[in-house]
Amino acid sequence: MALTLKELKIFKGSALLLSLDVTVKDGEILTVMGPSGSGKSTLLQVIAGHLNTPFSFSGSILIDGTDLASKSPHRRGVGVMFQDALLFEHMTVEQNIMFAMPSGKYQSINKKREAAATLLEAVELGGMQHRAVTSLSGGQQSRISLLRTLAAEPQAVLLDEPFSKLDTALREQIREWTFTQLRERNIPALLVTHDNADAVSAGGQIVELLSC
Amino acid sequence: MVNIAPQGSFNRVTVGAKWLLLCLLIIPVVAGVVGVFLPAMGYFPAIGANQFDLSVFAALLDVADIHTMIWLSLFTGVAATVTAALFAFVLLSVFYRSRMLSRLQIVLSPFLVLPHAGAAIALVFLLSPSGFFARLFTFDSSAIASANEGVFLFDSYGISIILALVLKEIPFILLMAISVMSQPLIQEKINGYFKAGTALGYSPIAIFFKLVLPIVFPQIRLPLLAVLVFAVSNVEIPLILGPNDPSTLAVAILHWFNHIDLSMRLQASSAAVVQVGIAVFAVFAMLAVEKGFTFYGKKWLQRGKRQATDKAISATAYLLLVVYVVLVVSAVYTLIAYSFAKQWTFPNIIPADLTMLHWNTVFDAVLTPLSNTLLLGVSVSFSALVLVLLTLESEPLNAAKTRASLLLSTALFLPLLVPGVAFLYGLVWFQQLILKDAVWFHVYVAHMVYVIPYVYLSLAVAYRKFDNRYEMVALSLGTSPMKVFFLVKIPLLIGPILVAFALGLAISFSQYLPTLLTTGGAISTVTTEAVALAAGSSARLSAAYVVIQAVMPLCGFGLAWWLSNVLFKPSTNITSTNKSSTGKSVRSV
Repeated sequence: MALTLKELKIFKGSALLLSLDVTVKDGEILTVMGPSGSGKSTLLQVIAGHLNTPFSFSGSILIDGTDLASKSPHRRGVGVMFQDALLFEHMTVEQNIMFAMPSGKYQSINKKREAAATLLEAVELGGMQHRAVTSLSGGQQSRISLLRTLAAEPQAVLLDEPFSKLDTALREQIREWTFTQLRERNIPALLVTHDNADAVSAGGQIVELLSC
Repeated sequence: MVNIAPQGSFNRVTVGAKWLLLCLLIIPVVAGVVGVFLPAMGYFPAIGANQFDLSVFAALLDVADIHTMIWLSLFTGVAATVTAALFAFVLLSVFYRSRMLSRLQIVLSPFLVLPHAGAAIALVFLLSPSGFFARLFTFDSSAIASANEGVFLFDSYGISIILALVLKEIPFILLMAISVMSQPLIQEKINGYFKAGTALGYSPIAIFFKLVLPIVFPQIRLPLLAVLVFAVSNVEIPLILGPNDPSTLAVAILHWFNHIDLSMRLQASSAAVVQVGIAVFAVFAMLAVEKGFTFYGKKWLQRGKRQATDKAISATAYLLLVVYVVLVVSAVYTLIAYSFAKQWTFPNIIPADLTMLHWNTVFDAVLTPLSNTLLLGVSVSFSALVLVLLTLESEPLNAAKTRASLLLSTALFLPLLVPGVAFLYGLVWFQQLILKDAVWFHVYVAHMVYVIPYVYLSLAVAYRKFDNRYEMVALSLGTSPMKVFFLVKIPLLIGPILVAFALGLAISFSQYLPTLLTTGGAISTVTTEAVALAAGSSARLSAAYVVIQAVMPLCGFGLAWWLSNVLFKPSTNITSTNKSSTGKSVRSV
């Protein structure tokens, strides 16, 4: 399922913002670092399919050799996580996860519900299915957010400074936990961060972007 | 190079909705202006006038008092708008950093949602020679004659028109400014400026006028000009409160168009064109006033005074607030008391006897207008809401401003910047040519023209504040754009969506001229009935209608508020097992 960025060049107007040529192997977490304005978030938008004027790109984005460029964002199988958990507040914990699960995969809604419960229990959040997401702590929200991303069975995951809003003690725990989950599922991931400790813990290749 | 994200079929639907919305805004206004311009140039086949010339205008200029009418329209409109804007800024400057701001919105909102016609009638009840204020300040009945002289209602200078317009427009301008100031980027900037200004020793009021207003004003210039155009050209307020001989031009146009003699249509049309001219002139006058303020404002900035006559400004603001509270309370009392009064002789402050008689009469009579109003309001507001939501959805994520969005924002203000009294007659002329009997369709279109802009402006604020990352996350989970729209965006935005719907209802409820003209009186609504009754004999029925006019939009907003607290809320019943699991997970995290 490797994620390949082949001769990828991103432009703002006609000016070159960044260029990248790299492959993220299955289960690898590649770290992209660089000052603000260097195009880190734009890189994630290119891969997720949300790029718009004045930005444009050349080159190709491949997952297992399939080019993503012609696919709509929701058909790319690319999960995105931001620094906020962004759980849907009009849904319970369980509904958030079931919303993410592939629709054709489960025979009945009850099977789907059981699968959601299993996912939650595996990470010590069992019994929280019917909680309102606003009643959860910051750490719980982060973990549910990752579970939701994984429940969609993505082919690659993009992490946009996902730990930057957590306090130091919590950050290490959530980080280790997140990386373990991604490696266990053999998913290639691309992490954008300011924090050196994130890069060290990710243990994959590190790309430094220069400011323009 | 690839730059545009691939689009699906849902995107085609939303883009289609956007063009439909543009057509609904542009076509009626343009057709209306053409339809009024042709007769003004002497082309009106119905009475055998087929030649283009300027004789109609020449005849118009010979009409007695025409100059007074033009002056009256211009003076009342410009004076009211400038005064309302100044007062709104005074209120904001005193309360923009305080918790009073939300209470202020509550005090002013009854004036915002009450139709112009209703507000004008309410003022008549308060200010007429036998009105509530005359009762309050007359302690023996022999003073009636002198009370008559002291009251300025229907004055030939149009002061009462200005008063009504100012009272009605302050809340609107204020809320427009507040909605601009609460946009995240602008709010951040204002907070920064406030800190910097305070550090330099400027008082909060001085900071508002010297630092905050210059950021906010450009953003509310267009709504302010819409207020101005409405003020110079509206019909219901001068019709109810203004002088009769001569009246404002807009009122005269209404009479001429409805004249039995069809040839008066030519005169009415040329007057409507003049009305457009008045609006254009007023807009330039307003821009000149703004230039003047900016010019002196810059000198004032350089002088560096740390206060801005703070005491006078606070005093004015609190005085205004008192005026509003007194007006709201006494209007509510007078209208309700009148609608129940059996006999209420002057100068008693309390009616002698109460009766349900008037309300019984009203309930019988109001059934048809009320159901018409509701049917029209709900269908117009709902379809406007759907079109506006889809139009907002057609904007791609993370997109910069495009030329199409510029066209849209101009088109939105088109119906508000062209005087209704001018284009509505032209529109009616076309409508009678094309589908003579589709009265409901015509009135629906005329209402849509006015409802769409308000629904759009109200929702656009919420859409701009909406965190786009929710949408990106939902898409990244494999959910189609259509499902994201229905299952994520609408539920998360349900509050603002319902408020926009209620606003659409209120705007539709308040339409007088569009309803009257497009239906030719065939479909009566609560508002057209209220205006008709105001000219009639029974003050009690009139009072009851104003009460209904005030209650209807409030019900709409109340329902919106209640539904947004009920809909799409996950069950939050935390059972004991859940609680224990909370304890466990808190430990583990």
